[in-house]
Amino acid sequence: MSSSSSPMQSTGRKLKLKSKDDETFEVEEAVAVKSQIFKYMVEDGVSNGPIPLPNVNGKTLARVLQWCQKHADPTITEDELNKYDAGFIDVDQAVLYDLLMAANYLNIEELLKLACMRVADMIKGKSPDEIRRTFNIKNDFTPEEEEEVRKENAWALGP
Amino acid sequence: MSKIFGFSGNGDSCTGGSIYPNPKESSLFLPLGHRVDVYFPPCKRSRIRAPFVFSGERFEQKKRASIEVLPDECFFEIFRRLPGGQERSACASVSKRWLTLLSNICQDEFCSNSTTGYLRPEEKSIENKAEDQEIETDGYLTRSLEGKKATDVRLAAIAVGTASRGGLGKLLIKGSSSACRVTDVGLKAIARGCPSLKSLSLWNVPSIGDEGLFEIANRCHLLEKLDLCQCPEVSDKAVLAIAKNCPNLTDLTLESCSIGNEGLQAIGRCCSNLKSISIKDCPHIGDQGIASLLSSTSYVLTKLKLQALNITDVSLAVLGHYGKAVTDLVLINLPNVSERGFWVMGSGLGLQKLKSFSVTSCRGVTDTGLEAVGKGCPNLKQLCLRKCAFLSNGGLVSFAKAAGSLESLQLEECHMITQVGLFGALLNCGAKLKALAMVNCLGMKDLNVGLHLPSPCNSLRSLSIRHCPGFGNASVAMLGKLCPQLLHLDLSGLQGITDAGFLPLLESCEAGLVKVNLSGCVNLTDKVVSSLAELHGWTLEMLNLDGCRKISDASLVAIADNCPLLSDLDVSKCAVTDCGIAALAQANQFNLQILSVSGCSLVTDKSLPALEKLGQSLLGLNLQHCNAISISTVDLLVDQLWRCDILH
Repeated sequence: MSSSSSPMQSTGRKLKLKSKDDETFEVEEAVAVKSQIFKYMVEDGVSNGPIPLPNVNGKTLARVLQWCQKHADPTITEDELNKYDAGFIDVDQAVLYDLLMAANYLNIEELLKLACMRVADMIKGKSPDEIRRTFNIKNDFTPEEEEEVRKENAWALGP
Repeated sequence: MSKIFGFSGNGDSCTGGSIYPNPKESSLFLPLGHRVDVYFPPCKRSRIRAPFVFSGERFEQKKRASIEVLPDECFFEIFRRLPGGQERSACASVSKRWLTLLSNICQDEFCSNSTTGYLRPEEKSIENKAEDQEIETDGYLTRSLEGKKATDVRLAAIAVGTASRGGLGKLLIKGSSSACRVTDVGLKAIARGCPSLKSLSLWNVPSIGDEGLFEIANRCHLLEKLDLCQCPEVSDKAVLAIAKNCPNLTDLTLESCSIGNEGLQAIGRCCSNLKSISIKDCPHIGDQGIASLLSSTSYVLTKLKLQALNITDVSLAVLGHYGKAVTDLVLINLPNVSERGFWVMGSGLGLQKLKSFSVTSCRGVTDTGLEAVGKGCPNLKQLCLRKCAFLSNGGLVSFAKAAGSLESLQLEECHMITQVGLFGALLNCGAKLKALAMVNCLGMKDLNVGLHLPSPCNSLRSLSIRHCPGFGNASVAMLGKLCPQLLHLDLSGLQGITDAGFLPLLESCEAGLVKVNLSGCVNLTDKVVSSLAELHGWTLEMLNLDGCRKISDASLVAIADNCPLLSDLDVSKCAVTDCGIAALAQANQFNLQILSVSGCSLVTDKSLPALEKLGQSLLGLNLQHCNAISISTVDLLVDQLWRCDILH
């Protein structure tokens, strides 16, 4: 954070963001800098006019900013935060993937970790078939290839 | 317009219904989930509850979110956080993209999961154990891929699958001349997933190049053994990278590669643990590379093999000076090395530790050259010369005189050597010579040398004269006088020998013969075997009479009566009959373990009881080409003699 700014800057300044479907959002700097991208922009002083985000749609951006807001709140306890996160990430797959990609694009470490862990938990304990069904994935191995992979990983896949 | 059937059930994680957009996919036959109505065949209609968009051709994709929309870097972040090996293995089996992505994650990039907050306490301790296991991978698993089964998919699967089970220690890939499906991609996956790799062998894999080996060099710092054979795309750059990054390299084999002098120089400079190197058929390697390699590894290199290279006398001179630690040396087919090279090598006096020396097809092995080696290598124990056409009797004898520590001498296809050289060597050798072999030396004739013998060669225990067509009775008899302490005798293929030559040999042998091989000596008769059984029956353990057509039942009777220790008997193509086999079976104290009657057409089904009795101790029985033994007899034997390995 730039230290030469006046005390009012950390609470007053807002960033304007524009999603790919042309929705604009105003968000306080303190909240926005959860994203490394915005953090560098703020530090470098490049924050004139609305920042275009061609990779994130309005709905997702709204959610992301909501999350950032919660996490930027100094009064919230860790327990409350964990509960919030658990509820936040309990969404259907389409939303989850949008969140994941947005967190990746905007470089929000904590949110990315949250979303990835959610996916990892969805994978945990499942067989490859179950994983394919859960995530709607096509099995593009030939029978020989599938057999090769199965042989090497049979220990994990069970009977 | 397609109709939507509103089935009930949780639509959140749709485990049922059509999951394949195109019903014509062959993967249709994978098992469907338990919620699928099997009477309703999967088709374009879906059972999801989520609203979907009718937008023409995009209908298929929009009907359910697929994780496939995520870019690779997101998958990377997800896979990094998978809790353990089991999950990674399951994910590896999902699709090609998942397998590729997983296999490209390095071991140290996987997270330790301590901050998830989603793990229950007991799960946490399991994670820690899994983490420890991965850190301490010893690299003891071995994988060998050949031909059509050598594919990038299999390599990626190995990279993922072996990581949490102890790690891959040894990998062997043998391609075939038709399209090989292993490429740099697969090798890179191995490099990333198996940092504990110790031994890598790539044979005939033309699609692997520098890229794959760079990755191996960067990730597998524990590499000890590297074998590159017929990999024309691998260049010096890759070898340089390996040399710099794999300090533990002890064994290196390069065959038919594009490696050149610079690569060898780097190896010599950086690999301070290099013990063994073998270089064959690398046209870009010359004196410069060899010389610099040898001078850098002077105190560590113990085994050296140079074959089909353009090197000259210079390399041998350097070897003769710097090969201070070399114990095993093999030189094959070095057309540009002359007599001077061998002379300088021997005279350099650096090869003090040389124990075993083998030379094939080198015109530089002349009398002078060999004598210099004999003089300059005082600890030489084993010498093997093949296709050395310029070595004469005199040279052999001078060598024998000079090489005081010699224990084993073998000459193959050295056609200038005659029995003069052979006997000369036996008379002049050092006191330690234990084994002498001459194979396929066409110069041997049966002239009566008429030596008066100062002293026989008492140290010789094993003598082998094989397929030297000129060798005859007089020479055999002389051998008997020269070598009275023989234990092992091999005269296979000596068709010129008859009883007259062999009987005196048997009588001269004071020690008891233990192993005797007379295969192909077609003129020997039962007299020889009787004499052998009588004189050496107390020590005889192995007797091979394969192809001795004149041997009949009398020999078997003699053996049965006199050879209690015999465990290996081969009477293939002999004139033995059922009576002989019966005689063998009736012997007391008989512990035959291996018996071959292959090609004995006079052995019939009547031998069944005898064979059964012998079978009590037999471990191997060869009944191939026994035309008179029926299949039912063979089957009976196979059933009964369950301990015995029967060839039929």
